[in-house]
Amino acid sequence: MGNADLRDLAAIEEVSFDELSGSTVAVDAHNWLYRYLTTTVKWTNDEAYTTADGTEVANLIGVVQGLPKFFEHDLTPIFVFDGAVTDLKDDEIEKRREQREQYEDDLEAARERGDSIAVARLESRTQRLTETIIETTRDLLGLLDVPVVDAPAEGEAQCAHMARQGVVDYAGTEDYDALLFGSPLTLRQLTSKGDPERMDLDATLARHDLTWEQLVDVAILCGTDFNDGISGIGPKTAVSLVTEHGDLSGALAARGEQIEHADRIQQLFLDPAVVETDPDTSIEPDVDAAREYVVDQWGVDPDEVDRGFERIEDALVQTGLDNWT
Amino acid sequence: MFKAIVRAERLQSTLDSVGVLVDECKIHLDEGGIEIRAVDPANVGMVDLSLDADAFESYEADGGLIGVNLVRLQDIAGMADSDQLVELELDEETRKLHISIDGLEYTLALIDPESIREEPDLPDLDLSSTIVIEGRDIDRAVTAADMVSDHIELGVDEADGVFYVKAEGDTDDVHLELDGDDLIDLVAGEASSLFSLDYLQDMNKAIPKDAEVTMELGEEFPVKLHFDIAEGEGAVTYMLAPRIQSN
Repeated sequence: MGNADLRDLAAIEEVSFDELSGSTVAVDAHNWLYRYLTTTVKWTNDEAYTTADGTEVANLIGVVQGLPKFFEHDLTPIFVFDGAVTDLKDDEIEKRREQREQYEDDLEAARERGDSIAVARLESRTQRLTETIIETTRDLLGLLDVPVVDAPAEGEAQCAHMARQGVVDYAGTEDYDALLFGSPLTLRQLTSKGDPERMDLDATLARHDLTWEQLVDVAILCGTDFNDGISGIGPKTAVSLVTEHGDLSGALAARGEQIEHADRIQQLFLDPAVVETDPDTSIEPDVDAAREYVVDQWGVDPDEVDRGFERIEDALVQTGLDNWT
Repeated sequence: MFKAIVRAERLQSTLDSVGVLVDECKIHLDEGGIEIRAVDPANVGMVDLSLDADAFESYEADGGLIGVNLVRLQDIAGMADSDQLVELELDEETRKLHISIDGLEYTLALIDPESIREEPDLPDLDLSSTIVIEGRDIDRAVTAADMVSDHIELGVDEADGVFYVKAEGDTDDVHLELDGDDLIDLVAGEASSLFSLDYLQDMNKAIPKDAEVTMELGEEFPVKLHFDIAEGEGAVTYMLAPRIQSN
């Protein structure tokens, strides 16, 4: 099911950062980083974000600019990194790769035309999370003492699992799939300027009178990252079909349709590969070491990160009066 | 029901002492006077204010609660000369506050108190030292510290019986010591805490230079600053959470 379809079904409300104060959130690291790379780098000169030898460092700027928001609102992040790619997702990844190659061709053409706006837009789309990006991001998070968790497979599934287990209060991702992975409460738009959105699984299920399993079935009918949907079935139709026939196989039988590996896809959402973890969330960063890493070791212009480091330091050394009530 | 007349200067200083921390607040309109308690969005600085009915030229209220946009109300009050009288009347029907200043009528839309940040609980503080100090000395300390740093250490040396202020910058330092003779009063216990100057400067702006300020300090604890307003017919208490001291 595409993101737009799931958004139609999901119970979502805006929350203020004030309301989130004191809570913890398992952040889908790839999703978060990708957002920063595509938004911070958008419309700007690629060269400012790479070292002399062409190594990508925009992610380091993204981390330094993105973390203060969490700390200033006393929202503790735990970054969850993807593990191995789920087999069934290969098609999706292949599609994205093809798309990226297309963008890269377009980018080349735009450069030749001298169309700077198109170049900027396409550059942001061709951003990819290279091994270096992942590695340097993890190093920097380590110096800042921000907890990191390695998912055995999908980071998003791991985030949802941690939220289900009560290890964290929220999963944090832009992806509406968090609902399908069973995350009770998910925060979206943590990277945006305004207030975040809170997506509520129970409220979503109550709104459509579905169980979690049925919601997954609805999604599979419409199409997910792991399968193409049944042509002509949108979210509303899918909800009525599953409600009427009880589950996916009932709905498919009634329509005379088939979906390959349907039971495996269901299990990917309902019982994904995850690990049990309970990370230490008291954060005591070594801001000086982090700054040295970013500025001295990776040669990032101090102007890009000074304000961010200052905000991190201020947010973490300033106590709140609520510590004494 | 709420209807009151107050000297502009009193209204202005009351609003200013809350306005340095928050942009909107709830005001309790009690029979005995008004009360405001508010904390800034980061939960670092708190104000607890009361202005007795006697501080007003006339005052009638029966226990209502209103929410106001302080910035707007400060602007309106600022239209009056300090010794002019400001008339305030709450229209219960429309939930608007009518303000008149020498023929100038202003109708202020109120804010739903429910939509304003909850009033904070008062922290439970056991502070070892009490320093009674003039407002102008706080101003000197804060102004000097701000020249070199963005934070300030306030402390008491119990053995020497002195209250001290320290600010350390990258290159320059500021140090001020006041003993029992310089202060109005000092009950010395071992105390030292570090505070953000941003907040302290804002609070300092609202402390009259000639005020007698009772400061309570502890070891890595919030500081309490208490002073009277309206010639003793009102009182303000600020509380400010400390920064963690690096060793």
